[in-house]
Amino acid sequence: MSPQVRVITLQLDGKEVSARGDQTILQVARENNMFIPTLCHLTGLSRLGACRLCLVEVKGSPRLQPACVTRVAENMEVTLNSERLSKYRRMILELLFSERNHVCAVCVSNGHCELQSLSQTLEMTHVHFHYRYPKLDLDSSHDRFLYDPNRCIVCTRCVRVCDEVEGAHTWDAMGRGVDLRVITDLNQPWGSSESCTGCGKCIHVCPTGALAEKGKSVTEMFKRRQFLPYLTLMREGRW
Amino acid sequence: MDDSSCMVDVAKFFMEFCKSESCGKCVPCRVGTYQMYELLQRITEGNATAKELAALEELCDLVQNTSLCGLGQSAPNPVISTLRYFRDEYQAHIEGRKCPANVCQIGSAKEVVA
Repeated sequence: MSPQVRVITLQLDGKEVSARGDQTILQVARENNMFIPTLCHLTGLSRLGACRLCLVEVKGSPRLQPACVTRVAENMEVTLNSERLSKYRRMILELLFSERNHVCAVCVSNGHCELQSLSQTLEMTHVHFHYRYPKLDLDSSHDRFLYDPNRCIVCTRCVRVCDEVEGAHTWDAMGRGVDLRVITDLNQPWGSSESCTGCGKCIHVCPTGALAEKGKSVTEMFKRRQFLPYLTLMREGRW
Repeated sequence: MDDSSCMVDVAKFFMEFCKSESCGKCVPCRVGTYQMYELLQRITEGNATAKELAALEELCDLVQNTSLCGLGQSAPNPVISTLRYFRDEYQAHIEGRKCPANVCQIGSAKEVVA
């Protein structure tokens, strides 16, 4: 933070809060223990604004704004939760479930999955759309890790952590539209990748069971993210 | 375009374009355009229900208001305007299982299997 950043005040759901001028709505909301659902966002990685779950209503703006990338402004009036936002958030979750083959009962991350817990928090009880049931091949060629694209929501956290934190850039996105997938190297089997350092950061930032350690059975895959805040502080020289 | 064009088929044509042009970054556009295309496909095949038409309208609202860029935000427009001016054609496909312009193949061999 540069010393000349101003302190401003704004309203979140009618509550007066103060914030630094360089913060995002999401950061301020979290500092004040106010809940905004997110999937693609992870503190320590670059901001994407792609999952659209953190959309909030900003008074005076005709469009909904993604809280993870929108900076706060003086006297901003933000609505974090409303009937309309809840409906949109539930529908977005439904779309994610309909897109791939998310079967919680047989998933390694059952009970520790961000998609699952958000659906419970936001009370998404049914999927009203037809399931797509794509046929996607699992990549188990790596010695220690497993990639199951059927459980992937294409949040690209793995792509970002591999590029920005580990610096290997093994992961990348391929294809477009509903065919978008994350791949290793130039769509070669993960096990044959020469750029992968085997650090396992991608496994632990993945919100679902798409990336998991081998040898884990149903519900056994816990994700450990403590390394990210630590590395962020190290990088910024604040440790 | 005249009375020999089926407006549901026209909406499906535009949705197919948006579906294939979507980059896939944001969820509403990536999956929403796909789901809207599938629903329009079902309507033109005469396999859709009134519930699915309601789902299509909800998707229009979602994709228009939550997409990241202009492609997703404008993708539902052909569906919204055909629904506004030619809702009777949608209903003819769903309730009457008929295509007023005789463009859509309703009751083809594919349906017997289902």
